[in-house]
Amino acid sequence: MNKKIPVIAKNQKIVYTAFIIVAIILFVLTSLYTKFNIFTLLKNSDEFWSFIVNDFLPPALPKASSIGGVLSSVLVTLALAMASTTVAAILAFFVALFGSEKISPFPKLAKYVRAVATFLRNIPALVWAFILFSSLGIGTGVGFVALCITSFAFMVRAFVETMDDVSNDSVESLLTVGAGFPQRVAQAIVPSCLSGFLSWFLYCIEVNIRASTIVGMVGGGGVGLTLFSYIKGFQYDVALSIILLIALMIIVVDRITAMLRKELQK
Amino acid sequence: MENTLTNSDIYTDSGNLSPRKITVGCKDKNKFIPRFMIGVLLLAVVSLVYLNIDWLKIAGRIPQIGTVFFKLAHFDFGNIGLIGSAILETVSIAVLSLLYSLVLGIVFGMLAARNITKIKWFSVATQSFFTFLRAVPTPIWVLLMLVCLGMGPEAGVAGLCVHTTAFFTKSFAQSFESISDETLEALEVTGTGRLSVFTNAVIPAAFSQIIAWTGMRLETNFSECAILGMVGAGGVGFVISRNLQNYQYGTAGLAILFVFIIAYLIERLFVAIKKKIQ
Repeated sequence: MNKKIPVIAKNQKIVYTAFIIVAIILFVLTSLYTKFNIFTLLKNSDEFWSFIVNDFLPPALPKASSIGGVLSSVLVTLALAMASTTVAAILAFFVALFGSEKISPFPKLAKYVRAVATFLRNIPALVWAFILFSSLGIGTGVGFVALCITSFAFMVRAFVETMDDVSNDSVESLLTVGAGFPQRVAQAIVPSCLSGFLSWFLYCIEVNIRASTIVGMVGGGGVGLTLFSYIKGFQYDVALSIILLIALMIIVVDRITAMLRKELQK
Repeated sequence: MENTLTNSDIYTDSGNLSPRKITVGCKDKNKFIPRFMIGVLLLAVVSLVYLNIDWLKIAGRIPQIGTVFFKLAHFDFGNIGLIGSAILETVSIAVLSLLYSLVLGIVFGMLAARNITKIKWFSVATQSFFTFLRAVPTPIWVLLMLVCLGMGPEAGVAGLCVHTTAFFTKSFAQSFESISDETLEALEVTGTGRLSVFTNAVIPAAFSQIIAWTGMRLETNFSECAILGMVGAGGVGFVISRNLQNYQYGTAGLAILFVFIIAYLIERLFVAIKKKIQ
């Protein structure tokens, strides 16, 4: 009489079980390999908390003479992200036209364009920064180029996907009436994909604000470098207020891009 | 861009059938887009001027990029054991932090989802706390953990966990909140407890999304983890940065190649999983 009715379908249950088993196996393997033990971490947590409470809290302002420098370093980070993303977007737009088989005047080359973009994209921005630092020297310009490379490659992929998703009918109909490559781009691609492109551009801005902070830490300049120098100088309370400043900067930028995205999709 | 097809264009020409060109254009254009693009361009130009980059100096050194790449491409297989174990360590850190964050993310996602916790101020507080955690980039967290916990993979796992948990909390809470209230109410009416409502209705409904978020995060976590070494934690990033600084380009090149291959494989895997779910 009291037979239980299973709430979850059987085949679904198998998927869950498989997922959990795989997760547990991976957990054991990686825990053994890295020797990471959550309990030793928790056992030592007193030290950890005392460190946070004594050294980081409360956040302190940097010396009055260096506040201006901190603020201008935030501006450098913002400018770095803005300029590199825009330059990368313009380049990516033209390259992406050659990366989509439907639009490109040389469809056979499209594969290779995408392959180059895949290669550039899958190497993290910081690795690019290091490679470029060793050839171009340290500086804001190099950070700019490193950010450009990854966001360029990312946008090429995103733009090609946008074009492949949207523009089939209009491109084909223009092709049958004999429109040339520039006409196809201007009349079919730009009107139908532009808001999609710009939405990806905004996403890239969000990513690059974070990335430019990080690239700054290893020598690209900006607020990342300021933070790094305070941490290296053991001024953790000042470092904390700079972290708060970075968080504020990123939250504000995210809010702005979210607003713009809504406006673009109207 | 102003060549829209208006009614007057058609009617004035319909009388005499002269071969006047009818311009093609989309009628309802978003007026905001051109303004937005001009604004972006202006901002970019201002930024470039503000950055004041010495382009001539960079352009003069461009040939050196070629030399560095030439050297990087001459792989040195002498240290392959070291590189291999560094890569394994990086992957392990990425996966381990992902698993810890998955559990934490589900718990905190539950707390942050308004339809499950049912205490509004509590969910809002949880969400805003994690928004702050998410706004600080991962390497900064790792750097702080390095300071607190000392060198080693612990700092990497803990630092990655902070950001990943914050990310999962937000996305899982979104998935949970998109579950219809009818489903939850139907179970609550039958007298099911809070916890079993969660395991029997919420988790199954959000499962495919959880998998998608996890796959996406694995991609990010690996590339974040690969750069952690550069700020001082272990793993492959440390191998790359140290070898580049010591001009041992062959070893660094091989390590970069490994990073690329693994990142590419994860991306392919994720694309395959995404296709299967859809």
